[in-house]
Amino acid sequence: MPEVASLSGQGAPMEEIPMDTTVLIIGGGWSGIKVAHELIDMGYGVVLAESGTAMGGEPSGHPWASVKKKELTALLDSVKEADGIEILTATTLVSLTGVPGRFQARFEQGGESFERAVGAVVVALETQRVSLAEAYGLRGDENILTQSQLEHVCASGKGEAPLLGGGSKDVLFLVGLQQEASPVAMERAIQSALQVQCTGGLQATILVGNVKLAQHGLETLYKESREKGVLYFKLRETPHIKQNGADVSISFFDNVIHDQVVLRPDVLVVEEAIRPHPQASDVGQALGIDRDGEGFLQPDNVHFLSTRSNREGIYVVGPARLPSSLAQGWKDAQNAVLEVCQLLGTGKRVVPKEKAKIHRGKCTVCLTCFRVCPHGAIYWDNRAVISPTACQGCGICASECPMDAIQLVDFRDDQIEDQILQGTATGVDGPQMIAFCCQNSAFEAAQMARVTGGPLPKGLQIIKVPCAGKVDVDYILTAFKAGVDGVLVLACHKDNCKSQQGNTFAQWRVEDARRMLEESGLETDRVRFATIASNMPLEFVRITREMEDKLNQLGHSPIRKGAAA
Amino acid sequence: MKQGSKEHSPNHSPKKVLVIGGGIAGLSAAWELARLAIDVDIVEKGPFLGGHAIGFCCKATDECQKCGACSVAARLLEVVQEPRITVHLMSELKSVTRNSTHRYVLSKRPLYINPDRCTNCGLCFDKCPAAGAIVRGYAKTGTSLYAINEAQCLYFKDGTCRLCQDECPEQAIDLDQSARQVSGEADAIIVATGFQVFDAKARPRYGYGINRNVITALELERMLRDKAQVLRPSDNKAPKTIAFIQCVGSRDHQLHHGFCSQVCCGYAMRMAEAISHRDSGVQISIFYMDMQNCGKNFSAFYERCKEHVRFVRSMPGDLFQGEGDQVTLCYATERDGRPVKKPFDLVVLSVGIMPGASNVRLAHMLQLDLDKHGFFAFTDPMDKTTTKQDGIFLAGTAQGPKDIADSMGQAGQAAQRAAQYLGVMACLK
Repeated sequence: MPEVASLSGQGAPMEEIPMDTTVLIIGGGWSGIKVAHELIDMGYGVVLAESGTAMGGEPSGHPWASVKKKELTALLDSVKEADGIEILTATTLVSLTGVPGRFQARFEQGGESFERAVGAVVVALETQRVSLAEAYGLRGDENILTQSQLEHVCASGKGEAPLLGGGSKDVLFLVGLQQEASPVAMERAIQSALQVQCTGGLQATILVGNVKLAQHGLETLYKESREKGVLYFKLRETPHIKQNGADVSISFFDNVIHDQVVLRPDVLVVEEAIRPHPQASDVGQALGIDRDGEGFLQPDNVHFLSTRSNREGIYVVGPARLPSSLAQGWKDAQNAVLEVCQLLGTGKRVVPKEKAKIHRGKCTVCLTCFRVCPHGAIYWDNRAVISPTACQGCGICASECPMDAIQLVDFRDDQIEDQILQGTATGVDGPQMIAFCCQNSAFEAAQMARVTGGPLPKGLQIIKVPCAGKVDVDYILTAFKAGVDGVLVLACHKDNCKSQQGNTFAQWRVEDARRMLEESGLETDRVRFATIASNMPLEFVRITREMEDKLNQLGHSPIRKGAAA
Repeated sequence: MKQGSKEHSPNHSPKKVLVIGGGIAGLSAAWELARLAIDVDIVEKGPFLGGHAIGFCCKATDECQKCGACSVAARLLEVVQEPRITVHLMSELKSVTRNSTHRYVLSKRPLYINPDRCTNCGLCFDKCPAAGAIVRGYAKTGTSLYAINEAQCLYFKDGTCRLCQDECPEQAIDLDQSARQVSGEADAIIVATGFQVFDAKARPRYGYGINRNVITALELERMLRDKAQVLRPSDNKAPKTIAFIQCVGSRDHQLHHGFCSQVCCGYAMRMAEAISHRDSGVQISIFYMDMQNCGKNFSAFYERCKEHVRFVRSMPGDLFQGEGDQVTLCYATERDGRPVKKPFDLVVLSVGIMPGASNVRLAHMLQLDLDKHGFFAFTDPMDKTTTKQDGIFLAGTAQGPKDIADSMGQAGQAAQRAAQYLGVMACLK
């Protein structure tokens, strides 16, 4: 097994630290079982915590009938019988403390609480299916089924399903008319409709918003279903539904025959929404990881692809991060296993001794750093401690610290201030400006702009920062005191910050700086915040030239003029 | 990254994987393997790394639209800095023989521009008299940002022009270099050869190649990337009305393309959002059959788009030159099926993802199967990286259409499978 390469910290002193090679998996569904299987295969220890009483169960994206049950059961058996796995059912996670490689997880089981030491965490909670019958204004009746209920009826065989027996019947599916469906839900509806259609005497009809086919093989399945006689009506609006007990009439305007259509199905199958596991919010809180707008346990941010969370050592797979098929969940499982392997290796890891230092004399234990760290890298041990394994080096803590007690090893304040002072000594006639550039976006854009973007302002000095959130109000003020005419703070777009909030902090600091400039009689337009991506060199040129034009209008800063005089 | 050098670092691992293709899937697979201390050779047929996706534009409005284009640039940077990865540009696989390992021979065409001398001044690019003979890349990857395109270069046509070589102030260009063969050995192979864009001329009714103001979505991507604005080809003016036509080449059973390309709805909506964010006066219509999901929480994104974009569920039948430089679309209205003609300043064809041109040859060489559409066939529906050959895995659009996020995910899966196959993942046993 490889020795794991160090993170960054060129030239910084390194040390080898032990990493616990037991991994906590949260969720005993099929994604969790797959992760467990792969980890055990590699020799890692596994603690698997499931809040329910059983492992496995029906996969959240599929009906039982569509998966190879035998293979899944064999997988589950092999995991259950393996050495090195502890399975905790009816157990909930209460908290997670410590750092990547040395986490302490606290659980509760039947009123008792206990702890386990783990090196990493994989969240593999399954999704839940929620019937949308109510959203369609439907009340329960025996001929109104959810997609899952229909699958169970179909799987149980026709003899036991009087609902689908006894002569010709119309079975109507409602899909994607209350919210956009997903390919996973679409596949289930088409499969069921096909099965219904191939049963003597039954006619399957699907009322659908957009037919979701962006998944391997679905277009073929869709075509096959139409060839077998499944009818599709594509609607733009939710149809008008009238219900009188078991008697349901559904009316809508059809865009193909250009007329009002009324359908009275014998059986109505209502779609289900795929929502996060009921425990997702609690688990997210216990782990200190962020959720997306729908409540899934991974923010909608491309920097976290595929399975990363905002915290090092905590990974999120399949249905825990978005509605997924079984195969998609397993793909994620394999990606998470790769991450675990890269983090924990054979139980040792070489890391920089420090990525950020806290000056004990200056620290007043206000806990600001602890609160603002987007990576959960700061913990409390009678004093604030920054974990070099968890720290991503964004520097948000350093800039937010009211006592200036924190210094990043790679980006010290004095180094940045030296660069600021150099920037004011260029001897350029035109406006002197400093652009603080996030290394993940603006700095890369600037590099390319120098080659392909056309001329940049002559008096522009670029200062690389690890994240725009590292830009301190002091940097901006130091720049003006030293006589620059303008300052740009260039950050990643909203939802594209590797440290989640770095761009927001940067924007707030620019607003602060503008207020301060105003108080001291300088024009607020001399400082500007903008967002940019690494692949936008032309945008970099545009922003900096616009700033140059603005500064040409404003003239030299009074401080620069004062110094010249 | 090493440029095709054969020397190994002293602590090199005995295991090596050959990754065929230097697009986002190949780069991601290589990067994951290198992080497990496995050596990787990337074979890329073109002069640059990053595949199609490195040329995609950022589609952010005030907010990131999660297209993932910037992830490609970030991954490329990581690969370039990784000493375990050796990159062979302008290279194609000539033969593979399999014993206990895969012995392969690459045919390596020259770069012509010496990366150690080139300063990326761009003089060759500016002075070249033949259109498209010198091309510019999108990211610095340790080689020159410029490359000679033999297909357009006059020197390779008839030997008449060596202007770039004569003009280069650094003497970095040598057009007399010749191709050579490189051989090597790998313990596993990852096929990440990507896709080709649907040729819009194969759908002649849309008049691509005849009407200048009908462009492909890929051309729009590049325009936004290179010029940071939309300009109508006929007069270089900013269009006021733009129509996107979806499913050009995809979901087309007449052409036997019975598959959804999975990316076109996403890029069309995101580009429409980006364009209308920059100029709210532009009216954008998207003509479609079924809007497909992209990214997380699609319902919310779709609702936001509907505020700026007109979605028309109707596939235009005909398209002809309208008044001035406009393009007139003929389609049936959604409500009553009435035929209408509507002029647009610019028409964008949302061209789909098609199987790679070299798939047949490569499948034959590696003894792999292709599926009925011409993509590489997988053997286990639960793991689409699997092939019928042990030790050969699939990643990205070589296997079928997928977006950047999915390509990266499948690349990770392929890397994990390859590492497992090599015994590297059995680390604690």
